[in-house]
This record gives sequence, structure tokens and C-alpha cells, in this order.
Amino acid sequence: MRTFQLDRPGDLAEAVRILAEDEGARVIAGGTDLVTLMRDGIQQPSRVLDLRDLGLTEIEWQPDGGVRIGALCPNAVDDRRLAAEYPLVVAALRAGASPQIRNMATFGGNILQQTRCAYYRLPEFACNRRDPGTGCAALRGDSAKQAIFGVSDTCNAVHPSDLAVALSALEAEVLVHGPAGARRIPIREFHPLPGDTPHRVSALRDGELVTGIELPAAGRGRVSNYVKFRDRASFAFALASAAVVIERAGTVVLGARIALGGVAPKPWRAEHAERALVGNRLDEDSIAAASAAAVRGATPRKDNEYKVELVRRVVRRALSELE
Amino acid sequence: MTRSWVEPIGANINRVEALAKVTGRAVYTADVPAQGAAHAVQVPSQISAGRVRRIDTREAERATGVLAVLTHQNVPRWRGQPAIPYYAESRLPLSDDRIHFGNQCLALVIADTLHQAEYAASLVLVDYQLGQPVPNLDAARADAYPPTGPYPDRFPTEHRRGDAVAALRSAPVRVDREYRTATISHAPMEPSSTLASWDGDQLTLHDSSQGVFAHREAVATAFGLPVESVRLISSLIGGGFGNKSYTWGHTLLAALAARVVRRPVRLTLNRKEVFTGTGHMPAMIQRVRLGARRDGTLTAITHDTVNATSPTDDRNEPAIQSTPALYAVPNLAARAQVAKVNIGTSGAMRTPGDTPGQFAVECAMDELAYELGMDPLELRRKNYAERHPQSGKPFSGKRLLRCYEVGAAEFGWSWGEAEPGTLRDGNDLVGYGMASGIRAEHSAPAAARVEISSDGTAEVRTGTQEIGGGTLTTMVQVAASGLGVSPDRVSIKAGDTDLPQGAPTFGSMTSGSTGSAVHLGARRVRVAAIRLAIRDTQSPLHGAEEDAVDVRDGRLLLRADPSRGETYVDLLDRHGIGALRRVGEYQPEEESAVERATFGAHFVEVRIDRQLSRVRVARHVGVFDCGRVLNEKTATNQARGGMIFAMGGALMEQLVPDPVSGRLITPALTDYHVPVHADIGDVRALFVGEHEPEAHPVGAKGLGEICSIGIAPAIANAVFHATGKRVRELPITPEKLL
Repeated sequence: MRTFQLDRPGDLAEAVRILAEDEGARVIAGGTDLVTLMRDGIQQPSRVLDLRDLGLTEIEWQPDGGVRIGALCPNAVDDRRLAAEYPLVVAALRAGASPQIRNMATFGGNILQQTRCAYYRLPEFACNRRDPGTGCAALRGDSAKQAIFGVSDTCNAVHPSDLAVALSALEAEVLVHGPAGARRIPIREFHPLPGDTPHRVSALRDGELVTGIELPAAGRGRVSNYVKFRDRASFAFALASAAVVIERAGTVVLGARIALGGVAPKPWRAEHAERALVGNRLDEDSIAAASAAAVRGATPRKDNEYKVELVRRVVRRALSELE
Repeated sequence: MTRSWVEPIGANINRVEALAKVTGRAVYTADVPAQGAAHAVQVPSQISAGRVRRIDTREAERATGVLAVLTHQNVPRWRGQPAIPYYAESRLPLSDDRIHFGNQCLALVIADTLHQAEYAASLVLVDYQLGQPVPNLDAARADAYPPTGPYPDRFPTEHRRGDAVAALRSAPVRVDREYRTATISHAPMEPSSTLASWDGDQLTLHDSSQGVFAHREAVATAFGLPVESVRLISSLIGGGFGNKSYTWGHTLLAALAARVVRRPVRLTLNRKEVFTGTGHMPAMIQRVRLGARRDGTLTAITHDTVNATSPTDDRNEPAIQSTPALYAVPNLAARAQVAKVNIGTSGAMRTPGDTPGQFAVECAMDELAYELGMDPLELRRKNYAERHPQSGKPFSGKRLLRCYEVGAAEFGWSWGEAEPGTLRDGNDLVGYGMASGIRAEHSAPAAARVEISSDGTAEVRTGTQEIGGGTLTTMVQVAASGLGVSPDRVSIKAGDTDLPQGAPTFGSMTSGSTGSAVHLGARRVRVAAIRLAIRDTQSPLHGAEEDAVDVRDGRLLLRADPSRGETYVDLLDRHGIGALRRVGEYQPEEESAVERATFGAHFVEVRIDRQLSRVRVARHVGVFDCGRVLNEKTATNQARGGMIFAMGGALMEQLVPDPVSGRLITPALTDYHVPVHADIGDVRALFVGEHEPEAHPVGAKGLGEICSIGIAPAIANAVFHATGKRVRELPITPEKLL
């Protein structure tokens, strides 16, 4: 590991100032991702900002019924109201990591975690995301774990977060703070597609950091579910996952949001599938139509062709399990 | 004080090192303290084939704390080539500019601290001349050939009897299938570690070694030293499964570095180096053909294998070795080939040859059973071999039929009630499968010194190794049994070439070989004590016949009149003997009238979610014949561990090579998946073995390897029963069942 300077800023302004003026500075929260990347030489920051003195761990309920979760709130969050009103969030967190990791990992760090693409994590392979412009060994390599949506000819890596998939289905907003002050970024804009800039992994501008996540109030008649499928029972990233949020009046679906994990460079909203549900009853036919529509636009390769069928099935499972 | 005497062998006692392990006080090699030790770090190759055109170490040498940087250009010459396999490769580290596989060591950086060495290693600049890599077995297969060299000299590449081709041609029922297995890794928890220090020409090595004597010889050869000049010490080992059976480059490099910097040097592998540089089980493609009569009588077996091997060595994975022993079939032909791939040299991994080989044959047997419409268990009974089918010799013991019987009863095996793909429970497909396993029982010379002291305690000294199987405990029990003392009076010293030579802790040789040495040593002490007593006019046993005296709980007594006797303590004390000690030596016979083997039978229930098709082993019963069980608790623990180990290989483990370069893309525990607790269902291990002195004097046979054979085919056969789909390629990952 390269040596680095460790700072522990006392307030947000100081943190932002350091981030803005020092290109080599990186934020560390729980460190469950950054430390492994530094150890393997994948990231080599010259300066590391430990945010522990900034607070940002609170869960604050808003007057409109929404909730704001501090960026440094641990993923092992144990909050009864959160579990009651946003069970999807808790389910995704639990599916995401072991208790040990969740104790350390934070909400902000979770949505900013780097891809698990082996070609990114092993420095002997070319990677545009790690070293812009050097090429992508994954495009010619083993693509069994790679994305089937949103890929470009520079990168086909998958975003690994379970939490972000749930946040996407809940249409959360990411609260950020930077040199120009505070702003909000809708979750669907927070993770850019690789395009020709795969090294840009978030919509954060220079000097900005995440301060929290805000979830809109849970609507009436809302049900949700998270289904994560992987090749062992635990301790594994998703081969494919689906977060579904349905709002109903009586038996009719008024709103549907379906986000997919493990299959795209970002939490992937399956809008075709959502449209197949709205205005219909949630029954076998509409579920079949939605799961078929969920894979529209997929561009699999030979090794990850199976993910197309897997997506259909996790979507069907997630919807079928709804009460 | 009276307590009832319990025979120590077979008793369910806790591991002697249990408390140290659970309290974190247990010392593994990387924990061995070393004053002033420097640290060595390897510089890995970024490419998998080619040459080092230029290597620039100047910046690394200037970095803080750096003591030396060794490359192929400045490394002192090795003085000899150690014999394969106990040094695993014919190429010694840093011996030339050639690159054969990804992550191969290209330089060694030695510094005051580990962090300094790691940092300096990142400053070494390598200019590569890229070669054309052969990335995987598929790419290499067309150029497969019969291997030559020391590995095939040890593991025959051909077996024949009768005329298999003709018998196949005329067989009314035939099966002809190809099976594939992935490259898999031992993946032990403990990364290999070495601590080397020199005193003149005397080398002391602490090394994570499954065989201190074999490895001492390899190290001595590389340095041109007599073996007595090398002392090799193996502390507790955090799992090996064979990746510490052979010596690998890092051990030699640590010793070399210590000599160069004139200080002790520690070298502990990182996880990636464990995956790339300490062996693996190679990828294989196997073709099995079976011929049978309609009643299920086998008439022919052919078994042709090809496995990936490294550019430096032809190592044939001995998958055909047990095929001749499995069934009473008159015609057989088996042949092994290898194909060169840019990967490190493979090694012995639990269970070498037999895990993949019997996966192929036992799946083919299941396919034949379905072809015949016959219970797979009946098919195996029908072709049961009473004697070894190749040599014609009887077995020292074979209780495979008993394994079938006990396993079928425990599992509730019944066949034919549900067609493949029809059994359901809610959303799950349910399937049952079975398979059997065989492992030739090996032996090695072994010695152990056993002593009883005048304070009533006893000690065993033997250079065996504790790799997690419970060896220290079982050896204590064998000594306690031979001496007639309670196991809690017995301590053991192990893992050191300064001790009498034990058998290596691989090849399932500990219980039989080292166990027999301990048994013989303890018996000699007992006999010496008895003789001392019966000749001693002051002893209550004076004048008794030697055979009439027994020893229990440290007291020598007359069998016919237990009230007459005296303790070891009194006897030794009276004679002014501090300790009575004897060495037991076990020498396997050169030519044997019997065949020795261990056996197993497996019965499995899998459950597979109909849509989300991950295979779960809900129930698994494994029944083993490993002779006398020395400790049911450690044996059960080891057997269940072995079965779960094999489940990993069957369902999820694979070292995936990049299809372009062959460099591994899963050399980390996050990506190389082994089963987690939540994956493990009801796994039961049962034993039917009995005291088998015809196998070894101690009456026990090996367990560490037989417990991993037959699991994969039983699971694959159950997957077929559940789904109606034959998956002939391991691991059976979800996408193969979608």
C-alpha cells in the first residue's frame, strides 16, 4: 500500500475544501471497500479523509412522512420505524453483506462502492474504469458476471450494491454538499452509465460528498419486495436481483417501480415491466407480462446470456411473493 | 480414587489443542515470534506467458528499509534440483527470465518491515516480452499428449485388463459420456508462511508444511546441504488439503533471502499467491464408456482423461488410478493425457485423482442404471468386487457392502418411486442420488518415541503435523491405549525434524503409519515395564507371566486378580528410573499379500428451487470404512468437513481463467466461492470400520481423503433425479439448470 496522509476534518466545510483542492483525496467512511482497493493497489489516494467527526449518522423523519438517513449511518441500522415503513431498504441491506461488514459500512459508502468486476479489481488486466483509456479486458474476457444492460464499448461492469437497487425502486434522492453548497441528486441520475467515461462512477462533482439519502413518504397501499439471487446462500454479490414497489388502489396497480441489480452498471429501472403492470390487477398474466418486459433492451453476450432468463425469473418471483 | 477405565482409542475426547485454538493462543507459523526478522515480498508477473526483457530494481532498492532485491539476474545459484513431487516443479524460482503463468514470482524484495517490502515491490519495473498464452484446457486440448517425467513415473498413465474395446462393441447396453471438472483450489484459511534463519550453514525453517521430513530434503537439496543441516518446524496448520504437501518456491526464497541479508526472513503469502502459486486441482475432461449386459453385469470400462498441466511440468492428475479397483469388470482400459496451459503447476488436492476420476465413473454408473431401469445401488452391488479386480488379491478389509446397507437405511433410500424431474415439494424440485468411493490406502515408514515418566505423565515425540484433522489428539490416544494410561496424562511433541521421523500428513497416512509407530512404541514401553515388574521381587506382580499382566489407568495389574498390581509411578520410582522410553518403528512391507483401501458410500437429497435453480444439498449421509476409528468426534468432524469440501467443488468452486490470457480472474475468497454455513444442510458421517490389524498394526486406516470421494457424483446424480437433466460439468452452478 502506498503511504497517504490521513485527515479527519472537523466540519463539512473543511472536508469539502480539502476534496476540492486536492485531486488525490478520497473520502473514507466504513472503509469496507476503499481499504481493500488500496491494499490491492487499485486505488492509491495520496490523502484520505476520515469523516467520522461529521456526525451524519442520524435518521430524521420529515414532516411529510419521508425520512432522511445520514450518509454515515451504518448499514447495520436497527430502526423499527424504518423497518416498518421501508422494509425494502432493510431487506436489501441484509441481503447485501454480513453483520460484520454492515456494522462498518455506511449508506453513503454503499451507494458509492466500486464494481466487483474482476478485471477492475485485478491490476494485471486492462481497465478503462481504473485507468482511463487503457482498454477493457472484460470485453474480450469472461463475461459471465458482466452487465446485460447499459454497457458501452469501454466497459460492461456491474454495479454491486443491493441498497442502491432498493433506493432506485423507492426513487430516493441523494443529498450532497460541495463548494457550491448543497444539492439533491435523484438516485436514477446518481450512477451514470459508462459511455466513454467509465471512470466516472457517480454524478458527484469535484469537491462534493454525500451527506445523506432521502426517501419520499411511503404512499398508501404500498407493498414491496427484494429478491436477490446468487450462486451460494450468502456472502455473494447478486447474479441478478429485483426490487419491486407497487402501489395499489383496491386490486388495481396505480404505480409500479422495478429496479434490477447485478445486471447493469447502475441500478437498472425496468420501465417496460413497470408499464406492463400499471392499470392492471397484479395477477399471473400481468406478472408474466412484466417479467417478459423486464429484459427488453438487454444486450447479453454468450457467457451472460443466462442473466436474461434469470432477470425474468427474479422479477416474477419478486412480484409473485407480494401480498 | 477409583474411576472406570475407558479404552482411549475410540473415545470422544476433545482436541488436545482445542483450548489454545478457541482462545486464540494457538501458534501458527506466521505467529512464530522472530527477533529482528526481515520481511520478504514477491513481485508477481503481470503476464502469463513470455519473458522478462528488462527488470529495473533501482527505485525499489533505494526505498526506505530495503535490504535486497533479488531477480533472476542477481540471485545466487541453486545448488541442486530437488526431486519431484516434494518440490513441486522442475523449475526453481527466479532461475531464468521465462514467464509461464500469471502472478509467477519475478523478484523478491526484502526489507525491515512488511509494509516497506510491499511498497518497494510496487516500485520494481518489469519490461515484458509478451508470449502467446494458452489460456485454458479447451484451447490446449487438441495438443494433448501422454505425459513424461517424474509425475507419470509415480502415477501410471495406463491401466489395462482384458479387451475393453471388443467387449464394448459386443455389449448390449452402453454408456459413452464426457465429463468436465473445473480448476479448483485447496483454499485453506491459513496462507502458507515461512520463517527462515541461518546459523552458519545450519538452516532453521518454520514452514506451513504437511511433511517436515520430505520438505527438509527438498530444501537441503536446493542449497546443497546435508539434510542434517536443515531443521524444519511446522506449527499448527490452518488447513492444507494438499497445498502444503509439496514445497513451493516461496519456502526456498525465504531461506535464500535470509542467507543474502544475513538475518531471519519471514515470507507469508498473500491470498492471491495462495491461489496462483501453491497448486490446485487442474481442469479435466474425461470420457467414460461402460458396457453391460441387460442384467447390469458390467463387461467393460474405459476411462480416458486429459488434464491441464503447467508449461514446466507434465503432472497427470491421477484420475484413472482407482478405476481398475472399483468394480468386478473383466475388461478395462484407462489412459491419461495432459495438455499444456499457462497456469502454475497443479498439486495434490484432496482427493488427488479420485475426486474427479470417480465423479466421472460414478456418474456414468448412474447413467447406466437409468439406461437399464435398475436401482443405482443394486447396480453397484451387482458389480461388487470381493477381491481387487486387477491384482486378484484379497483386501485387508472391505466393508463397502456394509456402507451401502447402513447408508441406505439411515437415508431411507428407495429407488423407482419417482421418475426424474417429477418429485416436488412446494416450489422445490427434489432428487435423490448416490455414489460410492474408494481410495487406495498408502503407507510410509514412521517412527515415534514414547515415554512414561516416574511422575505418571507420558509423552509422545514424532514428526507428524497437525493440519486440523485431529492428529495430535489421536496420536495421544494411541499412546495412551498402548501404555494403559489415561489420555489426559499424555502430551505430544510434533512437527519438527528434530523428532523421530513421522509419516507426512498427506495421502491419508497419519492414522495407519504414524499411528502404528506410536502404537508400537507405546507397546514396547508397556512390555518393558511389565518385564521390569515381574522380575522384581518387590513388585506385587513378581513372578507373573508377561501375558497375564494388563495396564489400566497407569496401573499394572494381574488380569485374573486386578487387586494385585502397582502403578508405573511406584515401579519407576522404586527403580530410580526417571522415564522409561522406547522408539516404535513402523516399516510398511515391500510386497503385500493383501490390498489396502478405504471405502465410502454417499446418499444425497438435493432441493432445487424450480425458478431460481441453485442446488441445495438438504440431506447427505456418508458412510465410511476406514478401519478402526481412533476418535469418533474428530473423525466425524473431519469426515463432515471433507464432504462439505467436496460439495463446494461440486456446486460452486472454480478458479476461472481469463479466456484470452489464462490469468485467473477469481484468485480471491470473495470470488472463489466455497460453501458458507447457510449452504450446508443435514450432513451426517457414519463409520462401519472395525479394528483392521491386517492393514496396519494400529488397526486404523486413513480418513482424510476417502471422505471427499463420491460426493460430487452423488450430488450430480441427485440433480438428474430432481430435474431430469444430466449436468456433466462441475461445478453445477445455477445457470446450468435454468
